[in-house]
Amino acid sequence: MIEPPDVTVVTGAAGWLGRALVAGLTDEAGPWYRPGTIRALVRDPDDAAALADQPHVEVVVGDLRRSSDLTALFAALPPTVDVVHTAGVIHPRRTDEFIEINVRGTANVLAAAHLAGVRRLVHVSSNSPFGTNVHRDDTFRNEEPYAPYYGYGRSKMQAERRVVEHVDAGLNAVIVRPPWFYGPYQPARQTTFFQMVRTGKFPVIGGGRQRRSMVYVDNLVDGIVRAELTPTEPGRGWWIADARPYEVNEIVDTVGRALAAEGYAVTPNRVRLPPLVGRLAERADALMQRTGRYVQPIHVLGEMDKTIACEITAARAELGYDPAVALEEGMRRSIRWCQAQGLEL
Amino acid sequence: MTDEDTRFGTEVLVVGSGAGGAPTAALLAEAGFEVLVVEEGPLVRQGEVVPFSLAQMDRQYRAGGVTAALGLPSIAYTEGCCAGGGTEVNSGLYRRPPEEVLERWRRDHRLVDFDLAEVDEIAGEIEAELSVQAVPGAQIPASEALRRGAANLGWRHDESPRWMTYPDGPDARLGRRQSMTETFLPRAERAGARLVTGLRVDRLVLDGGRAVRAEATRTDDGRPVSIDLDHVIVAGGAIQTPALLQRSGLRRNIGRSLAVHPTVKLAARFADRVNVPDDVPVHQVKEFAPDLSFGGSASNPGLVALALSDSWDRFRDAIADWERVVVYYAAITSEGRGRVHAVPGFRDPVVTYRLTRRDKAVLGRGLSRLALVLLEAGATDVYPSYRGAPVVRTPSDLATVEATFAVGRASVMTVHLCSTVPFGEIETSATDSVGLVRGTTNVRVHDASLLPDAPGVNPQASVMAVAIRNTRRFVETLTPGRKAVT
Repeated sequence: MIEPPDVTVVTGAAGWLGRALVAGLTDEAGPWYRPGTIRALVRDPDDAAALADQPHVEVVVGDLRRSSDLTALFAALPPTVDVVHTAGVIHPRRTDEFIEINVRGTANVLAAAHLAGVRRLVHVSSNSPFGTNVHRDDTFRNEEPYAPYYGYGRSKMQAERRVVEHVDAGLNAVIVRPPWFYGPYQPARQTTFFQMVRTGKFPVIGGGRQRRSMVYVDNLVDGIVRAELTPTEPGRGWWIADARPYEVNEIVDTVGRALAAEGYAVTPNRVRLPPLVGRLAERADALMQRTGRYVQPIHVLGEMDKTIACEITAARAELGYDPAVALEEGMRRSIRWCQAQGLEL
Repeated sequence: MTDEDTRFGTEVLVVGSGAGGAPTAALLAEAGFEVLVVEEGPLVRQGEVVPFSLAQMDRQYRAGGVTAALGLPSIAYTEGCCAGGGTEVNSGLYRRPPEEVLERWRRDHRLVDFDLAEVDEIAGEIEAELSVQAVPGAQIPASEALRRGAANLGWRHDESPRWMTYPDGPDARLGRRQSMTETFLPRAERAGARLVTGLRVDRLVLDGGRAVRAEATRTDDGRPVSIDLDHVIVAGGAIQTPALLQRSGLRRNIGRSLAVHPTVKLAARFADRVNVPDDVPVHQVKEFAPDLSFGGSASNPGLVALALSDSWDRFRDAIADWERVVVYYAAITSEGRGRVHAVPGFRDPVVTYRLTRRDKAVLGRGLSRLALVLLEAGATDVYPSYRGAPVVRTPSDLATVEATFAVGRASVMTVHLCSTVPFGEIETSATDSVGLVRGTTNVRVHDASLLPDAPGVNPQASVMAVAIRNTRRFVETLTPGRKAVT
């Protein structure tokens, strides 16, 4: 890997991944520490204060939908600059936000970074441009045809296409594709996930044998840093996930075990729903998204009976990526983080 | 017309001269049995018709090339109908039966004395007999494109060997296909077997569980022919074999479990003249095998037009450029099953097939994965074969394929038909472990009908191997010498 840059621009720095990334890059005892400055874009001024305490972090308050805000983000930079674009919206109030933030916002960041002559840009994409596997035993290879899953998937696909257009025009950009992630800095919806498992109310659809790739957030930070600092052909993209996909039953069991190990009383019986529920929820999600509405529980339920499994062979081979944390340990760390924040599980 | 032409007698009647019938006839004749092979289609020597042409479809295929299995959607299929059967009309690609498939058949169908090592040894003999080998020298460009696309994606791919002999020199297109009319049929005739073409067997006449006579019709003048026999081995393929057995009153487990490899296709247009109309690609993409495999199809102008026809209004300009267009297919291992029903009063049976939800999903994703391979290979335009398909030029267009593909809009077809008279020792088996039809003492099946499921690769080597293995068991247990007096 090459040396880290003088400045690392991080968009979405107040988000789940953004916070984990900034924490990793500024942790002097950790493997990803870098002496240079982290220039962090946050939308909400309230978030700025929390980040500003950290050493080497310059906070820029701005909205990536406004080009002028991005001019400030990329102003007065030293010679070597990398960008990690983590900003995006996954569970919006209105589906319009998918296009405004994930597509236009990304296009703005790309244009500003390109103009600023950055060294490398890492775009954080998703599994969603590739939809779901066609059956339980199918696994996404590193290269797959686009088959976007509704509004979010379409927006993340279009964002990837913008990245490729800039690469064709000379920008050194690459793409990382994380599936469902977990770990510290998790938002409220993930706390709900723990609560559902603890109380035995997590809705397992069908037999629970569907497989899901997940990624512990620090594994993802590792993959992003490797994508940034490993010289490769621009335009490449890689799945960054835990070492293997997990069956939904295994996820629920493991989280239950992790909660018990951290001292919680876990109710074992689970909510079992027939596959039809998943299909109906998917249809409801599709109908609502067509009218611009987005209802997170329905969306999540509709996706819950699907297999979304990927393999990380390309990231291993090309980036030397080797995920250190697996499900049980990652979930325990995640639970301990929630406890440290005083969150009720 | 003499009595000779309308009344035959033989010790062993082999019905059908394809991958099952031809090796069976050769081995039996060599073991000293009196063998009569009857074939419904004509004898057409290689070189008489252009491979993959309309003339070939007319002469060597059943019903001029295409028949359809009814269902939603219906699935078109083709059957060879000529001396040598399907081996005369296909691409000559050869795949040794995969060990895990043989093991699955042995285990799940409780095949007795089904020795995998023996099947492997037989496969070795077949490969020698048919000169199975890789193409020497350069591949045709359409094959090379598939290889390149898969290699760019890091997807597993290989070259399927073929039953071909090649003259010295670099041009692989001058190869001669080692089909049944070049190999096992002459071998059978040299050992004394008789081959009669243009004769269709309508039914077997059974006395108790014993077939005594076959009633047949000459296809040229419609005259009836009667054939007395001691043993009959039916090898008419997975559609005609169960239909003949049903017409003969044999119905138990027969024709109920048709298995196929359904395929969807696309046409890909390149910047260069990649089309070699009388040859087919030998590379296959096996990254998703056995669920899903990709390969190249024959691509003469007629077949290119057929591939473009589902969205003809928008795709038709590509036909003028057919020299730059090649047809490729995605084949799946289907979970669905079909049926063959012989209907009294009709010559051809009714065939039905039902794709499962998973089958349909794998076909759709298979088509877009195949399109991705061809974009990677440098295709400028990809035309998926279904109504309302977009022209795929960029990766984003694949999202449109995913959003608009429905199996019901596609031309689903198959060339691999199996499993309508499955062998084994379980409740659903139609014959015993060596192909003897249950409830009979001398009616055997030696063709693709026996294979308990579709093997996920070209099945003809499996058909030959099983036919030869069963013929060995026949020769071990019976001594030559005609019993019936005609």
